[in-house]
Amino acid sequence: MENEYRVVYGDSGLYVLDTASWRTFRPVIDETKCVNCGTCLLYCPVCAVKKVDGRIQIDLSYCKGCGICRTECPKQAIMWVKEEE
Amino acid sequence: MNTVDFLNSREDLLSPGISACQGCMAELSLRVILKVLGEKTVLVVPPGCMAGAAVGGWNKSLGTKIPAAMPQLGNSASMLAGIKAAYDLVDPDVHCLAYAGDGGTADIGLQALSAAAERRDNIIYVCNDNEAYMNTGFQKSGTTPHGARTSTTPVGSVGRGKVNFKKDVPMMMAMQNTAYVATLTPAYMNDFVEKVQKAATIKDGLVYLHVLNPCPTGWGTKPENSIAYARAAVQSRYFLLYEYRNYEFTVSAPTKNIREPKDVTEFLQKQKRFAHLDEQDYEEVRRVVNSRWENLKKLAGL
Repeated sequence: MENEYRVVYGDSGLYVLDTASWRTFRPVIDETKCVNCGTCLLYCPVCAVKKVDGRIQIDLSYCKGCGICRTECPKQAIMWVKEEE
Repeated sequence: MNTVDFLNSREDLLSPGISACQGCMAELSLRVILKVLGEKTVLVVPPGCMAGAAVGGWNKSLGTKIPAAMPQLGNSASMLAGIKAAYDLVDPDVHCLAYAGDGGTADIGLQALSAAAERRDNIIYVCNDNEAYMNTGFQKSGTTPHGARTSTTPVGSVGRGKVNFKKDVPMMMAMQNTAYVATLTPAYMNDFVEKVQKAATIKDGLVYLHVLNPCPTGWGTKPENSIAYARAAVQSRYFLLYEYRNYEFTVSAPTKNIREPKDVTEFLQKQKRFAHLDEQDYEEVRRVVNSRWENLKKLAGL
């Protein structure tokens, strides 16, 4: 009889939900105001914010659009853009 | 290395998309804890918000990149103690982590937790305190604060929210001389990461971390303000940040450095669960908050 259980370790068998579809607004960094302090990186609940070569980037593939990055940004450098159909 | 670069360099061991609500602080806390502890970790998630959000697995798949299991609601600490005993034979450096809700800690799982602390099993037990049974529809738990509206303590012509006061689980764990007890909240991330790093080094007994995680859905707040509420809870001394180790209490920097504490209304006023409170109730909350702070000051010798 074939074993119906899978070994779930690493990326195999990982449960991934498309949480980006929940979003009604998306965060966009205003590069002229952003000082790359990383406050948004600390507080993003889905860890969508990354620091690459000293610059802050937001990966929208799983961003739920909660808006914590926007409220916490000390420079108000995150713009809130409505998602279109 | 500062906290930003440290967290940026660590791998996120949770699935990128789990079904926690928008602005869920329990998800953030779990991600940070797993980032700090690293991939040599085994996770146990009893039924609750995080298990419901598929961290414990759905349909033969798993929400974490590390081994995770879902124990019964009442036995997370004892099951984890067994897992730890088995891992001690193979590799004693594996961190055994439980991430339980406040219901699974303060009410249902308390006996197993207290027994594991008494046996000095070397496990890390994290209580995700969002102050009610949020996953099943906001029922009152032991850590629900006085006056909060929940679905089992409704507000109407007779009821005025929860009658009793919040059960102080971290203090209870400290009083039974648990190896390391700390209270954390994600608004103070440096303090949070330091405490989890310290917890990872403790090898002589149970580590109990009590995390206050604002819950936008249950508290009736806006998702974008979750961190602001966590900060207001500390700034108004509603939630005290401290550590306990070897009969010594240490008040942590964010609480110690408060010069002018904010009024509790700053924390309570805009939450829907406290919308019915009047000045008399605020006075009652102020009295409890004050006496808890005075008590901690005595214990810490401040």
